[in-house]
Formats: sequence, structure tokens, C-alpha cells
Amino acid sequence: MNNILVIAPILLQLFAGTILLFFWTKTQIQKVLSILFSFLSLGLGIWLFLLTWKDGIQFTHAGNWAAPFGISFVADLLSATLVLIASISGLAVSIFSVGTMREERLKFGFFPIMHFLLMGLSGAFLAGDMFNLYVWFEVVIISSFVLLTLGSTKSQLEGAIKYVSLNLLASSLFLIGIGFVYGLTGSLNFADVAVKLSAISNRGIINVTAGIFLVSFGIKSAIFPMYFWLPASYHTPPPAVSAIFGGLLTKLGVYALVRTFTLMFGGDEFLGIMLSIIAALTILSGGLGALLQKNLSKAFGYLIICHIGFMVAGLGMFTEVAILGTVFYLFHDIIVKTNLFMVAGLVLKINGTQDISKLGGMYKSYPLISILLSIPLFSLVGIPPLSGFWPKIFLIQGGLASEDYFLIAFIVLGSFLTLWVVAKIWAEVFWKNAENLPVKASGLYFNQMSKANQSMVIIPIIFLSIVSLYIGFAAENIYVLSEKIAADLMNPQNYIETILGIKTILP
Amino acid sequence: MKSLLFKTASDYLLPLLLLFSVFMLLRGHYEPGGGFVGGLMAAIAFLIHSFAHGLKETRNIIRINPGMLMPIGLLLTLLAGIAPWLIGQPFLTGLWFEEPFRFVGVVGTALLFDIGVYLVVIGATLTIMFSITETV
Amino acid sequence: MILAVLSGFIFAALVPFFSKFFKRTIPFVLCALPILLFIYFISFLNQIELGSYLMFSYSWVPSLGIDLDFRLDGLSILFALMITGIGSLVFLYTANYLKGHQYLDRFYGYLSMFMASMLGVVLSDNLMTMFVFWELTSISSFFLIGFNNEDAASRKSALTALGITGLGGLVLLAGIVILASVGNSYSFTELLGSSDVIKSSSSYHWIIGLVFVGAFTKSAQFPFHFWLPGAMKAPTPVSTYLHSATMVKAGIYLLARFTPLLGDTYWWNGTLVTIGAITMIYAAIHSLFRVDLKSILAYSTISALGILVFLIGIGTEKALLGAAIFILAHALYKAALFLITGIIDHETGSRDASKLAGLQKVMMPVAIAGFIAALSSAGVPLLIGFISKEVMYEATLQLGQWAIILTILIVLTKIFLFVAGFWAGIKPFTGPLPKEFQKAHLPSALLWVPPLLLSVLSVVFGVFPGLLEKSLIQSVFSSISGSATIIDLKLWHGFNTALMLSILTLVVGFAIYWFLQPSEKNFQKTIRFERISPEALTRDFGNIFSWFAGFWTRFFQNGYLRNYVITILAFLTFLMAYRIFIGVKIHIDWDQISTVTPSEIIVVTLMIISIFIAIFSKSRTTSIVALGVVGFANCLFFLFYSAPDLAMTQFSIDTLTVLLFMLILFRLPKNKTYSSKTIRIRDGVLSLIFGTLVAILVLEVFEYPSSTDISKFYADNAYVLAKGRNVVNIILVDYRASDTIVETVVLVIAAIGVYSLMKLDLNPIKKN
Repeated sequence: MNNILVIAPILLQLFAGTILLFFWTKTQIQKVLSILFSFLSLGLGIWLFLLTWKDGIQFTHAGNWAAPFGISFVADLLSATLVLIASISGLAVSIFSVGTMREERLKFGFFPIMHFLLMGLSGAFLAGDMFNLYVWFEVVIISSFVLLTLGSTKSQLEGAIKYVSLNLLASSLFLIGIGFVYGLTGSLNFADVAVKLSAISNRGIINVTAGIFLVSFGIKSAIFPMYFWLPASYHTPPPAVSAIFGGLLTKLGVYALVRTFTLMFGGDEFLGIMLSIIAALTILSGGLGALLQKNLSKAFGYLIICHIGFMVAGLGMFTEVAILGTVFYLFHDIIVKTNLFMVAGLVLKINGTQDISKLGGMYKSYPLISILLSIPLFSLVGIPPLSGFWPKIFLIQGGLASEDYFLIAFIVLGSFLTLWVVAKIWAEVFWKNAENLPVKASGLYFNQMSKANQSMVIIPIIFLSIVSLYIGFAAENIYVLSEKIAADLMNPQNYIETILGIKTILP
Repeated sequence: MKSLLFKTASDYLLPLLLLFSVFMLLRGHYEPGGGFVGGLMAAIAFLIHSFAHGLKETRNIIRINPGMLMPIGLLLTLLAGIAPWLIGQPFLTGLWFEEPFRFVGVVGTALLFDIGVYLVVIGATLTIMFSITETV
Repeated sequence: MILAVLSGFIFAALVPFFSKFFKRTIPFVLCALPILLFIYFISFLNQIELGSYLMFSYSWVPSLGIDLDFRLDGLSILFALMITGIGSLVFLYTANYLKGHQYLDRFYGYLSMFMASMLGVVLSDNLMTMFVFWELTSISSFFLIGFNNEDAASRKSALTALGITGLGGLVLLAGIVILASVGNSYSFTELLGSSDVIKSSSSYHWIIGLVFVGAFTKSAQFPFHFWLPGAMKAPTPVSTYLHSATMVKAGIYLLARFTPLLGDTYWWNGTLVTIGAITMIYAAIHSLFRVDLKSILAYSTISALGILVFLIGIGTEKALLGAAIFILAHALYKAALFLITGIIDHETGSRDASKLAGLQKVMMPVAIAGFIAALSSAGVPLLIGFISKEVMYEATLQLGQWAIILTILIVLTKIFLFVAGFWAGIKPFTGPLPKEFQKAHLPSALLWVPPLLLSVLSVVFGVFPGLLEKSLIQSVFSSISGSATIIDLKLWHGFNTALMLSILTLVVGFAIYWFLQPSEKNFQKTIRFERISPEALTRDFGNIFSWFAGFWTRFFQNGYLRNYVITILAFLTFLMAYRIFIGVKIHIDWDQISTVTPSEIIVVTLMIISIFIAIFSKSRTTSIVALGVVGFANCLFFLFYSAPDLAMTQFSIDTLTVLLFMLILFRLPKNKTYSSKTIRIRDGVLSLIFGTLVAILVLEVFEYPSSTDISKFYADNAYVLAKGRNVVNIILVDYRASDTIVETVVLVIAAIGVYSLMKLDLNPIKKN
């Protein structure tokens, strides 16, 4: 359905960022505006999702130039769902930032940049053109870099250098890949490229190009052996920033992998095997790394990597049920990871440290909060019937069907390592007695904050926990959604015909 | 580099280069030029002035904080993009006035878009250059 | 039915909000829930006699075939009654045992959560639903074991238990998925129909292997048993409820449940008999070397679980009947013994079996309960323990060639368990009362009535087995064995070998009891063997694994950016090289490439020279200028290909960038360290290979004339539709304006970034 309002979510965030720029020093107004815009974007996300669910693929051709001449924006069910989930995370982080972000950072453009970041994410999810996807990636990289360095503390800068270098390397590789695609097909539109690529008989050269994209998006997704920037940087910025990073940035890479590989590069055996091996090693690296960490955020960072491995495993198996697992996992993971870093932030605010060996006593002092925090923690592990459990079933089923038994073993291993890490965190942070912690110099402690600010910290966690609980208990709905998405992804005929407006026959 | 010669030269260069930059902006559709280059020209104009007279004076001449030019420019581009929505056309469709204007040529949303880019480039470049020179 | 199962969860969810209320309420109100549930389940007894079953279905995730289906047959109702019945007693007991504890409300919350989960496990017909509840029992067990959360040992035990049962759970999940895919359903009732298909499928061994791991971890079979003694750190009500009567029996339940579906094959029977036998003997021997009462009971529980696995493995009707009775008998006497241990601990502050004595003088009802429970565990006639033992012996005696060794094993086990039972139930009460325990007295009725009640039941069912026969055991037996044989439980089976063996057991057991005392010294003797125990081996493995984790992580995440870049590029180069030389037919048509003009050659040479200068120069300024020259060379290329706009922009940006670098460079310290020659060579080689591969690819791409539809369209329509003649500019602001608007935003963000980097410094101020 041709719908000029498809890109409204993107433009809203652009508008938000621009308006926020006008209020550069007036942080109070920025706080109100940011939350307001986040609510609006949630509304738009829900609207777009419902529309796509009922009416099918929504698209618009910018500049009114028909595909493949202009730039198309496409909202299929996957994109629309991701835009919705991104807006949910965005709203949570928005409120959380109001509660926790230091004034100084707010005075130097935190909110505008955050909304530009959300704009970049929405843009990437809705992009239907290769180079357009690239520029949205650019927005995401540069805005995340600025958020990462905002405050210029030593640890932030050290992490940021590694972050930006490796991500710029990813961009360069992306460009090279785009160059090859354009060279092979003369086009940049996803649908058009899909048609033209399938007409080329020399699959080898297409697979090499696919390999370049694999590495480029792989860096962004933090898979093995390209994940090093993540543990180096994710724990350094303020928790609100880590939250939006942990939840969405790597998932953007996974989305790009899923989209390009299902739509354009198809199932090449070599790449499938490569992806499976990479997935297994990713799970291993993430899990092993998380075992060693003494710092909450660092542990969560490594767990991001571990669970990215799960999603890539589904992509490696490349069957409908496996992709189903990947997509379901994607939705669950965004919400849970955003929530986890906020949880780490709350722990930091309450205790003044994220060092697991020094923390303690939360169970005694904060019983209700402990119960609340147990939801994202156990959702991550995948204790049934919480959200992390269901997609594992599909991944195991997929593994059985495609006889990738070693992947099943790694999925079990990864789940076990996650269970162990979370159980240890629970025992150390909640159960054991707290030591006397030195008082932190900067920033307010939780019990020093105003009631309003305190609720700004707790409410987003409650909000996302409720969403997680919904995904877990109403797994039926999420399953139906993911099944439809997986079916559409594995049969891109409909996508291509809708965008190009013609009937094509794919060989 | 505050020699008298340089100072005087920059006093004349500033308006000239600014004018030149607008010229580059407007001719973009037909000849090499456009918003990016135009904006860069303007920024360089102000930079030369700041090297000669010192940052403070240049800032006085510009009066508003160059950072503010950025959101203004963004709004203009956004406007140019959304305008077609009012008549049911997709984002960024080119809308044109019927008759070409004098000196400028055909005017439409593309020009508005380019002006927005122009302002953003000036704002961004000046912000970057000023921040670095002020701190280093 | 669903409300019955989930009621515990609802109750647990309410606890945090009504905590003050719970701490003050009289105990009976709190125990209403399990008592009501018990009565509810009793009401179904007459409906399921003789092997029929009831189904209750509620939809949950229909698309996956995962529904809340509950199947009430003999096996499940036995467990349900045990769970709710013993649960009621434990709830009552706790009210006094933990009176005044600050977390009493949370304790009841966890207990209810556990009860509900356990009910879910035994009642679910749908395997996936059962798994959900299975994992929930592990989680509630985690919280309960770690209840004394400020004690490091409790925490450690909780983690160990969760680790083992959690891992087992995950393995079980894989098994269930495989089973469901072979049998095409998650529903146990449906799967029963395809039992032959499943047993003959190629995945059969995997299925039972995975299910076994799940069951063995949960039911503390060798070598996964060592979490159970650790779990004794939990408060006694927990040990009673979870770790003797119900949770650890979940694995037994699973095996019993699956017997008609997967059982009666060589691998099934063989594995179960072997593991069960090893466990029962190993644990029984261990229990004799322990001194802590709870430890003795823990190991005897493990041994009893081993016996159950052993019996299920034997698989004959007699054996299954024995198992059915023993499940109940063991629950009754073991729960009683644990509760009694709790009372002893509560009153005397000690659980040291070598020191406790003479307590019957101060707590006679408890002594009576202990006495009876110990007799039941020993298998003395007139108690239900005796009936179960008889059937067990008859079962092993029937086994032909294996009869002898298996009978010896079980008799030995029973003898050792006799002693253990007596140590726990009789010894603390006999003899003179030591001085330090003079202060002990009979505690509140809430504490001693439950064990006494359990013991009385042992007697009642022992004397009148008929009470159980028709109503309960028959249906249990039918559901496990799938056969329609009518069972007949008699007190007296006549003078047969089994009776002889029973007498032998009693005599030898009593003799050992008379001469052997629990002593610390004996315990010390076993320490030597700790090093090869599964616990130690697991710990060693854990240490090696940690070491490996450290090694792997530090190897890859070594902190050096250059290593990261090299890894990524090497990986990509490998990918590309492999593919190019295996998959692609390289054919470069040199004629197709347009001629190279002299100006192009000059510019490229200029670029290459500049690059080398940039890399090798020792002065930063030179490198920056050289990079600037590369940029300018790029400009020239843009000019060659008729894109003057781009050239102008590139030129201005390049100049500005070089200027900026200069401004900043003066502030940086001099560069002192340069990378070594080998590193440079390595980097150079990698870059060359990468570059060459890309070049080959580019040339190869040119082989395929791509469509120029789009460029043609741009050129044709530039004037007509886009009203301009400068195609490049039109592409930027019209055809692909979306790219431009986004890049403008990027510019804005970059500017803000620079500004904030320069102006905002949140580093803590150093004081000197």
C-alpha cells in the first residue's frame, strides 16, 4: 500500500531533535519535550504496526520517483514491529534519562542527539534502499559516538576510540559492498537488487559480496570475531546511554543481516555454515566473558554478545522455523537488554557502585525493587514462561530440522552460562550482605533524589518489565506475529512485487 | 596573524565571499554549485575574518550563535520535505512555481531544501572550527 | 483444575503486598491453601480407580500445541496428594519453626510458589507445560535453599543446586523437543499412541539420554547427586518438603511417567538399573560416615531415590509395584524424620548424631514418631515400609541371571539404610540425657503433631494395606506399567525367600546399629576420597573452565585496537579469498577496461607516494599533509569523471580538515613509540592481500554489464522533471534527497559532538 505517512516515525524524531536544539540550555523544557515526543513516537509506532498488520506492506517513494529510481521506504511487518519496539525502548530510556542524567550532559545536547539516534534507528528499519541504509547507519554511528563521549571522562574516551574506529571500519566495508552491488546490478533499491541479483548466473561473486556485508554488519552486530568494540565501550557511558545502546544498536546489525540475507543474498551453503560456526563461537565468547566480569554493566555487555549468537544461529540455519526463532528472540532481546542496563543503572544509583563483589543487601533493603529486578534478570535467562524461553524452542527445533546438532549444544551451553551468571549476580548483589561502600563524589544517590526523579527511574523499568511479561505470557500472539514475519522473509516475492509494482518471477 | 594588511583584506573579503557563496547556492541547479559548496564558502569567509580580527569580533558580526543556524536549516529542509504531504504527495517530492524568477531561475521546494543545507553547513562548520580554536 | 494448580502462584504474588498481615496471622489461615487443595484432590480418588484418567484442558499457545492440559491419573494423583498433604503439614510446622523470622512472609511465598510448580509438573499432560513448571521448581528451590541469604555457604549451595538442576533442565528441554518432533505432539496422552514409532526411531537413544540427564540431575542420582547434601543448608521445612518428599521425586515422577512411553527397552532398563544401583549403594555407604543428622538423612534420601530408579529400571510389574508403594512409604517416613530433626535442632541447637541422646525424656511424642519412622525405613513388619521392602525383594528375586547380584545390592542398601534410619529416628532419643541438653523441652504441638501424624499413617497403611490398594496404589501401578493387572497387597506373603531376606536385613542391620556409632572420626576417614568424588571433579572442571574462560577472553579482548582491526580484516580476507578461489571463475576481460590516460597514471602515482609517506614518515605533520594530498588527488578524479560539485566540496573539506589537524597537532606530545618491523610487515602484507582481492573483485564485477536504467533515467529527466541541468546536484537534492537530508543531520550531530568534546569535561578533579 502506497502510504505517504509511512516515514512519519522518522520525521517525528527529526522534528524532535531539531526542536530540542532550540532549547539548548533550557534543560527543564528539554526533559518535558523529550518525554512528550517519545510518547508521540510510541503512538506512531503502534499506528504503523497496526496498519501493517491489517493492510500488509506499507511503502512510500520519496520524491515521488518510482522504484527503483528514487529512494523507497518500506514498512513490512518486521520493520514495523521493530519501529514499534524501538519506540517502546526509546520512551523508557527517555523517562529514565530525565531521572538519572546529570545536568551538565543535558546542557550539552544529550536529548537532541538521543532523538537523532532514535531517528537513525527508525530510518534504518524502514529503509528500502541500500545507500539510504548506509546513511542511516552513519547517523546511528555518529550519534552513538557523541553520546558515548558526552562528558569526556577518561573511560568514556578510551572506549569511544575503539568503538568508533571499528564502526567506521564497518562503514567502509559497507560502502565497498554497496559499490559491488551497484556494479553488479546498477541499482540500489532492495527489491530491484534482489531481482537483478537472482538473474546473475555466477553465484560465486555474489557470495563474496555477501561475505563483505557479513563482516560489515557483523561488526555492528558484535559477532565473533568482530565484537571487540562492545566490551570495551558499553559500560563506560551513563546507564541511560548504555541502555539504549545495549537494546538497539547491535540488533540493528542483526536486522541488517536478516534483511539482506533473506531478501538479496539467499541461502548459500558456505555462508550458512560460516554463520553457524560464527554463532557458536559468539555464544561461547560472550558467555565465557560474562563469567569473568565483576562489573554489572560489563557482564551485561558480554551477555549481549552471547545472545546475539543465538539470533545469528537462527540465521545460519536459514529455515523458516529458525528465522522465526531469530525474529522472536530479537523482539524479546531488545526489551530485556534495554531494561537490564537500566537495572544496572538503578543498582548504581542506590549503591554507588557496580562492582559485584562490593554490592550486596538489596534483598533485605529493597524487597519490592528486588522482585521487580528479578523480572528482567530471569527473562534474560529464559526461565519459562518468561519471554526468553519461547524463542529457544524454535531455535532448537530449527537445529533439529537442519541437523545442526552442535548449534543445539551451544544454545544449551549459552543458556546455562547465562543462568549461572545471573544466579551469581543474584546471590552477590541481592543476597549477600553489603560492605561499607565509599561515598561517590558525583551525582545523587537514589535516596537523595526527589520522589519525582525516583519514580522516573523506576517507572521505565516497570514499563519494560510489563512488556517482557506480556511477551512471555502471551507468547501465542508473539508467535503468530513472528511466524508471519518469518514466512514473509523466506518468500520475498510479495515484498518485491509490492515495491516494484510489477509481477516478477524469481528463479 | 593580525597584520593590518590581512585585517583590511579580510574586511573586504567577507562580504564578497558571502555574496559569492549565495551565488554558488543559487546556481547549483544548473551549474556546479549547490548548498554544500555555498555553505562552505560562507564558512571559510567567516573563518578568514576570524583569523584576521579574532574570534570575538567575528562572533559579534554574526550576532546569533552559529550553532542556532543548524536547527533553523534543519527545519527548512524538513519543511521542504513535508510540504508535498499537504497535497498528498510523498516526502520530498519536488514542487515548483510555474514561472521562473529573475536571476534565480525556477524556484521550488528543492531550492528551499538547498537553502536549509546551506545554513546547516555554515552552522556546523563554524561550530566545529570555533570550538576547536577556542579550546586549543 | 487450573485454579487449583495456579493458586499457589497467586498466593505467592500477593505475599509482598500483605507481608505484615502474614507475619501476624495465626498459622491455620496460612495453611488453608494446601489443606483445601488436599481435600480437592482426594475428591477425585474414586473417579480414577483402575487406570482411568481425567483430563482438564485450557488453551495457552495453541499455535505451538502447548496448552495447559492436566491429566489426573493414578500417578499424578499420588503425587498431588503427597504434595498437598505433606505441604499442609510443612506449612503448619513452619508457622512455629520460623516464628518471628523477618522473612517469614517471603518464605511462605516461595513455598506456595514451589507447591504450585510441583503440582504443575505432576499434573501436566503437555510436556512443554510440564517443563515450564519443572524449571519453576528449580527456581523456587533456589530461593528456598538460599533463604538464609546472608550465609555464604547457603548461597553457594543454592547456586550449586540451581546450576546442576538448571543444566539438567536445559538438556531435558532438548530431549522434549526431539521427542515431540518424532511423535508429532507435545501431549503425553497423544504420544502414548505412537510409543512404538518413538521407540524404534533413530533419535530414541538421544531422547532417553537427554531425558535421563534431566531426571538424574533433579533426583540427585550419581554423579549429579552432590547438590542435595549441600541443599541441607536450607531451613528444615525446606529439606522436608523439597528435598525428600517432593521436588527430588520429580525426576522419579518423570521416569515413571515415561515408562509406558519410552520404557521396556534394553537401553532404558539397563541405564536405569545401573545408575540406580550405583547411587543407592554409594549413598547408603556415605550415610554411615556422616555425623550431622541432616547429612545422614540427605544421603539416605539419595539412596532411596536410587532404589526407585533401580526399580523403575527393572521394569517388571513387581518392580513397578514396589516403586509405587515405596514412593509413598519413603515420603511418609523421610518427611517425618526430617521434621523430627528440625525439632531436635530447634530445641537443642545441635544436629550431631554422635552427641545427641536421651531426648525421649523431654519429648516423648517426638520420640514415638521417630521410633515409628525409623522402623518404617528399616522395613519392620506392620509398617508400610515393610510392605514396600517385601515387594522389592520379590522383584529382584525374579530376575533370572541377574537376580543374585541385584538382590545382594538391594539387601545391602536396605541394611545400611536401616542403620541410618535408626541413627536419625531412635538414637537421639535413647540413652541418658547429656547435660548440655537438659534445657530442651517439648515444643509446640504445631511442631510435633505433623511428624507423629505421618508416622501414624505409616502404621495404618502398614497394617491395613487394603486401604491404599484399591483407591490409590492400583491406579498408580496401572498408569506406570500400562498394564491392567489387579494388584494384591498383603501383609503376609507366606514363608518365601523374600521374607528370609527381610529377616536377614533386620538382624544384620540391628547388629551394625548396635556396634557402630556415628562418629566424627569416621567422617574424617572419608575426606581422603573427596578428591575423586564427583563433587570435587566437578569443581576441578569448573576451575579449568574458568581458566579457559579467562584465557579465551583475554586472548581476543586484549585491549589493543590494532589487534582488533587485524582480526577483522584477516577474517574478511580469508572469507573473500576462500570464496574467490573456490567459487568464482575469475575471468578478467582486459579489453573491456577503458584505456588509462597519462593524467590518471600521474594522479594514482601521486596517491600511492603520498600513502607511503603518510605511513613511513616519523613526523605527524608530514603524515597529515600527505593524507591531505591523497584527498586532493581524489578531487582530481572527481574532476576527471565530470563531478565538479563533488570536487569543490572535497577540496574545501580537505583543506579545512588539514587545517584542523594542524591546530590540534601542536598540542599533542611527540610520538615516541613506533611499531616494530615485523608488525609493519605483517600489516603491510595483510593490507596488500586485502587490496588485491578487492581489486580482483572489482575487475570481475565489470564482467557483468549492469543495467544502466537508473543513470539513464536521471540524465533524461533532469531538465524535464527536476528542472535542472546539473545532474549531480539534482541527484543530491531531488532524486536522492533523502540521503542528503540525513547526511545534513549527521553534520549537525558531528558539530554538537565536537562542541561538547571540547567544552564539557566531567572528569573528577584531581586534588594535587
